[in-house]
Amino acid sequence: MTTAYAEGVIGALDEARSPIVRAVGLSKWLGGRPVLRGVDLTVGTSQCVALLGANGAGKSTLLRILSTLTRPTAGRLELFGLDATRAGALLRARIGVIGHQLMLYRELTVRENLELFGRLYGLGHVGARVGEVLGLVGLESRAEDRVRELSRGLAQRVSIGRALMHRPELLLADEPFTGLDTESAERLESIVRGHRAGGGSVVLATHDAAQAARLADRVAVLRGGRIALHEPAGGHDPDALAACSRSLA
Amino acid sequence: MSGARAIAALASKDLRIETRSREMVTLVAMLGVLVVVVLALGLGPEAAGPRAAAILWVAYLFSGVICFEKTMQVERQDDALAALLLAPVDRGQIYLAKLLANLVLMTGTGLVITVAGVLFFRFDLAAWGFAGVMALGLIGFAAVGTLFSACSSSSRLGGGVLPLLVFPLCLPLILASTQMVLAMHEPERTVSGGYGVLVAFDIVFLAAGWLAFEFLLEP
Repeated sequence: MTTAYAEGVIGALDEARSPIVRAVGLSKWLGGRPVLRGVDLTVGTSQCVALLGANGAGKSTLLRILSTLTRPTAGRLELFGLDATRAGALLRARIGVIGHQLMLYRELTVRENLELFGRLYGLGHVGARVGEVLGLVGLESRAEDRVRELSRGLAQRVSIGRALMHRPELLLADEPFTGLDTESAERLESIVRGHRAGGGSVVLATHDAAQAARLADRVAVLRGGRIALHEPAGGHDPDALAACSRSLA
Repeated sequence: MSGARAIAALASKDLRIETRSREMVTLVAMLGVLVVVVLALGLGPEAAGPRAAAILWVAYLFSGVICFEKTMQVERQDDALAALLLAPVDRGQIYLAKLLANLVLMTGTGLVITVAGVLFFRFDLAAWGFAGVMALGLIGFAAVGTLFSACSSSSRLGGGVLPLLVFPLCLPLILASTQMVLAMHEPERTVSGGYGVLVAFDIVFLAAGWLAFEFLLEP
């Protein structure tokens, strides 16, 4: 009894001390070809890591593995100090994902989409939370519109709202600025900063080196499925970072 | 979230989408009615009488397959399935919700098809006995169709492969239910263990769907 209790306490302490993401030697083969090769990545609490790299460098695959949607072919992934392959539902409830695609139901309204995911995540007071999220993404006036009636940029904002509905501790965003106008992009940057200020962590795949330099603590440049450069973002001039990313690609 | 609430939320989502677009329900019902009319015209109304269950089954099969494909297609559009798989919901619950939605849609279209059969060709369906047999048959059919629609929708062949997977597997259901309906009209014909076959089939494929859906769902 005492041992079990002690193990529980030690486990909880380990989890508290652990980084949010610890990936060691992650590899992924798709269609007989390596997409990721031995990627190591650590993301701490309230940190933002930006993934840069050309198309096909492995950014989206890495994010899908981190989100637990795809299993790595080799390597080890710990999320919140837990083995990602074993603690599925527990971990998924702590992750929010903004994908390449909208991940929404087009025939449902904005409100119905958010309510559905609020219910699936077991939120109490779903209606109130939907109101908060609509305010966050600036879509109060379009709440009753079906997603298929919205422009790509507005639908992308709904997708961002869906990812934030359950207040995830880790936000994984795969080129989330795609299709957003300047105002929406600024709003999303502010959401990312707010998320970090609230203790959340972010892994952001982007092609925009300037954005990476503005938002991230660290930048990892992927090339051919490997991390070719992994450095703090602060010291980099965005133009130099973009040039470096292009040369590595 | 409790399992029952998750299933209810997901099934009502599917039904809301289908009733809102109405394309699928109309298409499926029209196809089913067409199949009944064409087959019964080809066979002649008199010959169609004792073959009512078989004719209706052909209509249910074709309309059901479209139903399974369409409800799964909703998940593939815009990668909505990925959002669903990321939620802390058991994959077996996703299967049951999809099955429930498919059953409701198939029951609705099945009623239209059956009524068309009765109106045009005066099928004597011995109402309650027929309804019980066909209900058990449709549960098994929906259990198989929902299960395989998950893998066929992610295959390169898409939904086209679904009838090839589902129709042969449903043969025991179709044979048992048509023989049972025939026996209701022909007292000299005896069918032993018909209900047993239907119930066993339903239980086996409901359990298989619950357990295997996790491995078939690929975002």
